[in-house]
Amino acid sequence: MSPGPSRRRRFAAGMVAALILGAALSQWMLARARAQENRFRASRVAVVTVSALAEVAERAGGTGDGLRRAVAAFAGGDSSLVAARVMVLDGVSLEASTAPEDRGEKAAPRRLTQDEKPIYDQAQRLRAAVETNHQEGAARKPEIEVASSASGGLSLAAPLEKDGSVVGLVALETTPLPAAPHPDWLFSGLAVVVAAAVFWLMALATGERRTMLALVACLVLVAVMVVLGRQAFTAVSGDRRATESAVASAVTAEEGRAAKALQEVAPGGGLKPLQPASWDADLFRRPLGVIGADGKVDQAKFEQGLAAGASSTARVIGAIAVVALALLLFVGLGAASRLGATISKHHQAYTYTFPAIFGMLLLVFLPFLYGVVLAFTDSSIYTTQAPLSQVWVGLKNFVDILGDFHIAKSTAAGLVWNYQNLYWTLGVTIVWTVTNVAYGVGMGLFLALILNTKGLVFRPIYRVIFVMPWAMPNYITALIWKGMFHQQFGVINQIIQMFGGTPVAWFERPATSLFACIATNAWLSVPFMMVICLGALQSISADLYEAARVDGATRWQQFRSITLPSLKPALVPAVILSVIWTFNMFNIIYIVSGGDPEHSTEIMITQAYKFAFEQYRYGYAAAYSMVIFAILLAYGVWQNKVTKATEGI
Amino acid sequence: MKQRNSRLVICIALGLLCGVSAVAAPPVELVVWHAYRGGEAAALEKVVAAYNAARAGAGIKVTTLPVPYDAFADKITAAVPRGRGPDMFIFAQDRLGGWVEAGKTIEPIDFFVDQATKDRFIATTVEAMTYHGTIYALPLNYKVLTMVYNKKLVTKPPKTTGELVQLAKSLTDASTGRFGVAYWYTNFYYHAILMNAFGGGVFDAAGKPIINSPENVKSVELVMKWAEKDKFLPAEPSTVLVTSLFNDGKAAIVFNGPWFLGEIAQGVDYGLAPLPTVDEAGGKPMSPWMTVEGVFIAAGSKNKDAAYDFVKYLTDTPATKIMALEGRQTPANKAVYLDPQVAADPILKEFRQQVEVAVPMPNLAEMSMMWTPMTSAMAAAVQKSATPKAALDKAQAEVVEAVKLLRKQR
Amino acid sequence: MSTSRRSQEFPHLPLHLILLVYVVVTLYPLLWVFTIGFSGQQNLMIVDIPANATFLDRLRAIMPWPAHLSVSNFTSVFTEQPFARWLLNSAVIAIATTVLGVFLACTSAYAFSRFRFPGRRVGLMSFLVSQMFPGTLMMIPLYIIIVQVLGLGSTYLGLILVYSITAIPFCVWMLKGYFDTIPRELEESALMDGASAAVIFYRIVLPLAKPAVAVTALFSFMTAWNEYIQAATFMDKINMYTAPVGLKFFVGGFEQQWGYFAAGAIVTSIPIVALFLFLQKYLISGLTAGAVKG
Repeated sequence: MSPGPSRRRRFAAGMVAALILGAALSQWMLARARAQENRFRASRVAVVTVSALAEVAERAGGTGDGLRRAVAAFAGGDSSLVAARVMVLDGVSLEASTAPEDRGEKAAPRRLTQDEKPIYDQAQRLRAAVETNHQEGAARKPEIEVASSASGGLSLAAPLEKDGSVVGLVALETTPLPAAPHPDWLFSGLAVVVAAAVFWLMALATGERRTMLALVACLVLVAVMVVLGRQAFTAVSGDRRATESAVASAVTAEEGRAAKALQEVAPGGGLKPLQPASWDADLFRRPLGVIGADGKVDQAKFEQGLAAGASSTARVIGAIAVVALALLLFVGLGAASRLGATISKHHQAYTYTFPAIFGMLLLVFLPFLYGVVLAFTDSSIYTTQAPLSQVWVGLKNFVDILGDFHIAKSTAAGLVWNYQNLYWTLGVTIVWTVTNVAYGVGMGLFLALILNTKGLVFRPIYRVIFVMPWAMPNYITALIWKGMFHQQFGVINQIIQMFGGTPVAWFERPATSLFACIATNAWLSVPFMMVICLGALQSISADLYEAARVDGATRWQQFRSITLPSLKPALVPAVILSVIWTFNMFNIIYIVSGGDPEHSTEIMITQAYKFAFEQYRYGYAAAYSMVIFAILLAYGVWQNKVTKATEGI
Repeated sequence: MKQRNSRLVICIALGLLCGVSAVAAPPVELVVWHAYRGGEAAALEKVVAAYNAARAGAGIKVTTLPVPYDAFADKITAAVPRGRGPDMFIFAQDRLGGWVEAGKTIEPIDFFVDQATKDRFIATTVEAMTYHGTIYALPLNYKVLTMVYNKKLVTKPPKTTGELVQLAKSLTDASTGRFGVAYWYTNFYYHAILMNAFGGGVFDAAGKPIINSPENVKSVELVMKWAEKDKFLPAEPSTVLVTSLFNDGKAAIVFNGPWFLGEIAQGVDYGLAPLPTVDEAGGKPMSPWMTVEGVFIAAGSKNKDAAYDFVKYLTDTPATKIMALEGRQTPANKAVYLDPQVAADPILKEFRQQVEVAVPMPNLAEMSMMWTPMTSAMAAAVQKSATPKAALDKAQAEVVEAVKLLRKQR
Repeated sequence: MSTSRRSQEFPHLPLHLILLVYVVVTLYPLLWVFTIGFSGQQNLMIVDIPANATFLDRLRAIMPWPAHLSVSNFTSVFTEQPFARWLLNSAVIAIATTVLGVFLACTSAYAFSRFRFPGRRVGLMSFLVSQMFPGTLMMIPLYIIIVQVLGLGSTYLGLILVYSITAIPFCVWMLKGYFDTIPRELEESALMDGASAAVIFYRIVLPLAKPAVAVTALFSFMTAWNEYIQAATFMDKINMYTAPVGLKFFVGGFEQQWGYFAAGAIVTSIPIVALFLFLQKYLISGLTAGAVKG
């Protein structure tokens, strides 16, 4: 029992580290949130503007001098606009533009130049989006596109409509966004210093008592995090309020501007009244409804949004607090120093294992992490480019997969299995795996034992022949096997007929179809097991058998008491691994039965493949893969417990 | 003296080279991925070499990379959205919709395509390259099923299904494994020849599945009649079986595509004829689905203008003539069939005739989720574990569900 | 129960009979591959049944033998594509994978077998767990890491790394199991004689573990030798493709040239059989482990 370093000092170090981490993370988070809000505000305002412009352009007929005058009048009155453009698909024509570069020779109307292809493509995209959303009765593709412009502002595009169909686009570019507020480092720095000082003073009082120190440290840390959280909330809700009032005033301003611009087209007025409240919309042009028809903010809706924002802020700050607390306790309770000591004590073992482990982390576990994240989304081919937050669905995929118990239904004709159900597929997969591995191990060991017989002639020739199915690419051998099971031309049925039997339609019933797959894979998996067994048999001393013989043991007793236990260290990992590999053996089922009949012989991995590459539901497929992983993990843990494989002998 | 001369020449040559490269525009290297091999790849190389020679002055050089078909789509999905792919690639239309929906993969090209260019092609092939009103590639060639027959067994190819059934029954002897007709009738791609003849389909104009439409049911019933009652089709068909049967002279007639011609064994004297008309569908012709290979421009390409220049060149008449005669492709370009050499080629001529009644296979992303349920439905019907109607109803329900799950509201 | 040596030895004749039966089972499908390869044709063979087939007719029909012997498929495989170059690439990659994989696996397996350290169980389990990840969705992230981050697209090294990491878990478990059976006393006495850890490993442990090393080497080699999807995805130059990628050209999409594929498959399986022939003397060198124990 060495006295060790002072607990108080250790906690103080942990405290400082945790405070710095917590404060830095929450400031960083806050800065990000405010920058986001800053951009969101600009984009909401710009959506109002672009919607107003689209309405002006539509009412101005989408083409001609009237349109150009109206657009010029509309953009002229707005200092936040760098450029406004109207482009018409028919004739690839730039109908109006207030952009500085579109003057003189390049003044509208003119055909788009070669390097303006993106504008044309954007118009086509918006047209397709509006049509698709209309066709599917859904809001799937954005009808207003927002992007950052080269100068640091926003560039927006909205469809230009005429008689209900999209004929072009209106686009605008805003001046650079106002800078997002800087993070308040002074405040958080002060909080850290004060909290550290307070902790040290209290620690002087508590002395070296561990529980008390831990308690005090946690309390101080939590208090600081609460303060930081309140600061964040105040800032964020202030920003939200600013956004709503900015949008409200934008709606009023754009209404005036639009009315003025339309004077250019129809000087006498007499147009239908504008609907400015509908301009504050999401990217699918669905009105948000926060700004009322009177141009004022709807307080109830606003408060609702604010409350949602507050709870999300609380969640984030809470998560940061948990991380900081973990760090505090990790250092404070001495785990950090123990970890350091362990590493230096066993440095040899870690050096030996590091390269392999590092490679695994980089090339296996990191990609796997991607799959894990994907499993919690409903990512699909339609949402490939969507940010994570938009496709996040939590545990929904897992609930859908595991909670589907429609395994079978009873009909007049008897029980009808639902072959697409997870539990059916799992059953098939287990039968498939167990049969294959049992046959592989049994046959492999059997052949290896025979080939290990002393003095047996031609052993090298047998060995090479038996290993050949492994050497040949299985893509072709599996197809040959499939051919062998063909109803009319297959060898198997010919043999059956040679002995007077009737041919079997192998792929028309689940059991026979699965049998064909298993026969193929069993044939393929024997060589591997045989090689493993051959290698493992070499570790057994002949003397052991000699001794057993002297004791009068039968051959069976020798096998049970000498051969099997000696094979165990090599055989157990081989069995575990081949269970895992067979469970995920995609090729053979895919080639031989292809799931016939009616998906009844699909195994889990071929199902996952179907979800990913036929139905393009990446998130669901990833979740399905995670279920496979969980099943195998459970198996691995169980097998490990039974055989103590990780402990060796 | 001699040596000095040659040195001088080298110096001058080097100087010239340096001078030239200093003056010329920076060289542009364009990469094309394709899944060709053998004669098809050689023909493409020849076209590329001719193009490179023609554009040497502009400093444009095209190189090609063959990619095995099975890895092609995965390679594009991995590389292109990350800006590491080629400038162009040649692929069929079946993935087009998916790539547009996924984004960052293929470049819309209607900005480049003028009416004259569009008119170059058989209209339906351009349709195959169009998704939601936007063109994404220029069509290079098409593949359609047609009728291939063994001349030793069939003297006069049947013109109607009535003739076909009569002939096929007379040529079938199941006990020795001889069949009048063999084709992969349980596969939906092959079955489409009948489905389209009846006026059926898989998606309506708005993209909704219509798998259990009455027309589709009728088409499945017809195939079942052939297999069950007339018994001139082999059991458990597959491409492998059909090829083997035809090569061994055990199938008199097969319905197969241009790729099949390369698999026919030497010594088998075969002829091609248009698919017969279907008496049961009021004399409408069997209409195969058309798969069209287009030349796509990758969204990540940095030289899209130059790339389009090559796309245009590759799909123009001189290039497609090489692709047709040496690469054995059936070009989407119309004018090439007027070329005397091409017109004299009976195979190309026959496919040109067949494509007139072909229907472009839908290029919607949802198409990929249709194959498995449809093939299951076909199998269930043929194996008599369900009536055609019930089997198609089940497939319809599956596809509707899958489409619904994919097209989720945001 | 007799204890005489004679009766303990199994009579060899029944053993040969059993082996011969299994030889037929093993070879039959392979003979079809050879038949297709040497047929000069492109279709998979089917059984040719005459009318009213008798037992003998059927027997003759199911014998795999091409109607005409031809090596045209083999020559086409090599002349149509740079297949020889691809074989060379495969060889370089597979040999390097074997060396790297076996080396890394030996060092870790030795540590897992001989040292007791915190994280040992977790480490061993993590190797096992890594095999449980279904590979369906790993392609894109792996592409990002290898090609985008590490910049190892179109290089040997990229594939060598991926393949050796793929092979390592099995190798580690196999070797660790085998190392466990080697008695520690040997090393302890060497340690007392003043030998360093490295010397003990190379001079004592490794020679005794030859059968297991042979198995893992074979396994690593095959992992690299047969893989095609990653090779096709990571390599952007035709000269960098491997033999399995070349094979896939013959049967993708609509066109299926089974004759070429079979010929190519036979060619690519020759090195594996050769490697096995070379390694099998280690597999059966049942010399040591027990002998020293006694």
